[in-house]
Amino acid sequence: MSDYTLNYEAAKDEKLPSVSLDLNESITTAIYSDTDLQAELIEAILREGKMSVFDRQEGLYDRLTVADNTKFFHKWFGCSMTFPEILVMFGLQTCADKPLSKCTPSELARVYYAKYFMMDHYPVVFHEPIQGVDLHTMNTFMNMLQKLKENKTPVLILVSNLEHALLLSDLTYKLKENGLQEIEVAQEQLSETTTETEQNSATLTTSKLYKVPAKVEDKIILFDPTEIDYIESQDGKAQIVVNHESFSLDSTLAEIEKKIEPYGFYRCHRSYIVNLQKVREIITWSKNTYSLRIDNKPKSTIPLSRTKIQHIQDTFDLK
Amino acid sequence: MNTQRIGAIFEKDLKEFRKNMMLLMMPVIPIFLAFMYSRMGEGELPIFLLYLIVGATYSAVTTSGMMTMMAEENEKKTLRGLIQSPASLADILIGKSLVVGLFTLVSLIISLAILGNDTFLAVQPIIGLILLFLFFLLLGIGIGLFTKSVANTSAYIMPVMFLFGFTPMIEFLNLGEDSIAIKIADYFPIMQMIDMHETNSWTAIGIVAIWVIAAAIFTFICLKKVSTDN
Repeated sequence: MSDYTLNYEAAKDEKLPSVSLDLNESITTAIYSDTDLQAELIEAILREGKMSVFDRQEGLYDRLTVADNTKFFHKWFGCSMTFPEILVMFGLQTCADKPLSKCTPSELARVYYAKYFMMDHYPVVFHEPIQGVDLHTMNTFMNMLQKLKENKTPVLILVSNLEHALLLSDLTYKLKENGLQEIEVAQEQLSETTTETEQNSATLTTSKLYKVPAKVEDKIILFDPTEIDYIESQDGKAQIVVNHESFSLDSTLAEIEKKIEPYGFYRCHRSYIVNLQKVREIITWSKNTYSLRIDNKPKSTIPLSRTKIQHIQDTFDLK
Repeated sequence: MNTQRIGAIFEKDLKEFRKNMMLLMMPVIPIFLAFMYSRMGEGELPIFLLYLIVGATYSAVTTSGMMTMMAEENEKKTLRGLIQSPASLADILIGKSLVVGLFTLVSLIISLAILGNDTFLAVQPIIGLILLFLFFLLLGIGIGLFTKSVANTSAYIMPVMFLFGFTPMIEFLNLGEDSIAIKIADYFPIMQMIDMHETNSWTAIGIVAIWVIAAAIFTFICLKKVSTDN
């Protein structure tokens, strides 16, 4: 097993804490943090000079077509896969003859992925890889991660969006000023939550008039359950998300879950409760993972645990 | 050196050159000049006019083409991740030189054909022209490594064009025969070529070769500086 270790000592005048992390080649690792800490982490990685960070910030050849760009990188990096294979793998065959200046951001993102894949670095660090791309492109990226895993390349993904981190990685860490924390995922919690749900059915009649209280500065805002898109867990506290805004609650996710379940909410992931009324799409990614797309303005996608898909399918009478 | 990489960059830049109006207009300039001169004078054209066209071709196509291509890569940061070692930088420079060389050759042959002069079809002038090409190419590479944007290139190309490309024009400035400027200008590569053409002397070729070596040293220093900067 040839793991790669990431190791940074905390510098005096910086916020970045000491980071020590094993990158396993068979597990995709993600670090989720706010953008400031992320920038400092990237700086630390670049300063060491052993790894380059793929952030889609460098230019491509705008005048040339997708095929010309890809062909150039294919030849330059001496890729062992054939050129048509690469085109198909990154879904570029349909836009192959388009000049890059006319491509959509998602198509451009796929050209970048193809370039990064052919660069064949060890290990690979991605920075916000699926920010602002469409579903097809996200799927392409996840297929590439799968391929990198087969090639035994350790992958690290840096994101500032928890949903992306949970979707892409097998192991998610949260980077805060006091250090790295692992975010545990599903499974072990499952039995606990199912017992909770059984109890909840009893309280159904009593909670007819329930509003969710959120504190904003000095005021307490009462939310109608139907206007809530979903509730996520942030540092042990629940947070309501309504369109672009989020409001913190005083209670934990488990506490709020009990109260809100009768209104058509469901704990679809350890850190998420979703308003089932607002689910527009159930996305099935190729590697047997799932996401729920919410029918709100930013069209949020939130993770759906593998163990909970059955319940969702039953709820919506799907097979 | 890696022929596969040189091939890749050659192919890529050849396609880019054809789609870039700014680069594509450059080889047209000397052809247009040649066309005008051939209409202007009756009979044989003076030698210095021929070399003016050669100077225009080399400075407008070779030097400026090389500079523009490098500037574009620097400006858009397209080379990030492609250059892992000084060897891959060399591959890029060689690949681009081949593209520039190809377009220079085409432009030069067409403009000289328009002028209808075959005095260049001899061993000595051809050696001279090759040396001149190398001189202008090395100059373009050296400056190109440092140009951060395409807009900058037009500022940098001016001195090169007037000093080295259009040196024969200095005679029109009506400076006296003994003027120090003329004496210095006489040692510039294009002037030495004119001298060689008239006297068939090999020393003129030697002086051009010294210019090439000087340009090579300049380029080498630039390369060293760029690779230590990163």
